[in-house]
Amino acid sequence: MKNSFDEKILEEANDWIKTNQKVVLATVIQTWGSSPRQVGSRMIVNEKGDFSGSVSGGCVESAVVRECVGIIKDNQPFKKIEFKVSNESAWEVGLACGGEIAVYLEQIN
Amino acid sequence: MKLEILKEIIKKKENKLEFAIVTNLLTGESEIFEEKKPLSKNFEKYNDQINRFYKSKKNGIVENTDIFIETYIRPIKVIIVGAVHIAQYLVDYAKSLNFEILIIDPRGYFASEQRFPSMNIINKWPDEAFKEIETNSNTALIALTHDPKIDDPALQHALKKKFYYIGALGSKKTHENRCQRLSDAGFSEDEINSIHGPIGIKLGGKSAPEIALSIVSQLVSETYKK
Repeated sequence: MKNSFDEKILEEANDWIKTNQKVVLATVIQTWGSSPRQVGSRMIVNEKGDFSGSVSGGCVESAVVRECVGIIKDNQPFKKIEFKVSNESAWEVGLACGGEIAVYLEQIN
Repeated sequence: MKLEILKEIIKKKENKLEFAIVTNLLTGESEIFEEKKPLSKNFEKYNDQINRFYKSKKNGIVENTDIFIETYIRPIKVIIVGAVHIAQYLVDYAKSLNFEILIIDPRGYFASEQRFPSMNIINKWPDEAFKEIETNSNTALIALTHDPKIDDPALQHALKKKFYYIGALGSKKTHENRCQRLSDAGFSEDEINSIHGPIGIKLGGKSAPEIALSIVSQLVSETYKK
């Protein structure tokens, strides 16, 4: 049986918008191999780079935040980004688990 | 995503409806899909594929398309009998796990708004309370009063309706007596053995939050077994 474990990210997005923040919704749309979070996992990012939720449990969040702030600046409505396995060097963005994920970014407007 | 769609999603979630969000990844357009409701022009050519995917209750990209679907299903209903101390901690844990909680307790001084703020509390005896609640094999029962007058009718209802999880608080001795009463009431050994008693997985703790954690762990584990 499946339960709808729900992190209330969309509700939080709505709260942010009420306080006049610009919000980008980032959603895991595809995974390959072993990836930290399942399809449908979400995070939100505002124009200052504040974020809530998670798309990878910490591995690629910093890059997702940068991309989200970028699409707000460029006024781009949506963008798809992919992350692959990281190499050994510390702090480089990538998935240590060896998986790959695709994340869809969309502005809420 | 348009703000009005976001607001509509939140409203549907509050009303515990089942639906999906469909997004065209190439155009950025998204809309809400509900079974038996027609899709807009933007999505109608994918109608059959979206319907098929929706039935799987999964999230993902529909094969050979650029359509992403996220499905929302009703949260699982968990009925707690006994608005006791452990229940207060259970309610806290269960909230983040998105179970739909209902509390039954005929004792008004336990089942108060002050002890359980903004919770769905039914201040009636279980037999009366269950007349108001829709239950089925996807429902769970946690009986916490260890008072046969209150727990037993709830357990009997849960067994008859084949709840997927039934747990009852109480020592081994209390549980033995409970099993005997259920046997006398005509329930089979298999039915009686399906009750988790003493309730919870073994964590070792004895405080109320620890017992609540052991119960909620068992509940989640049984949810995925089914």
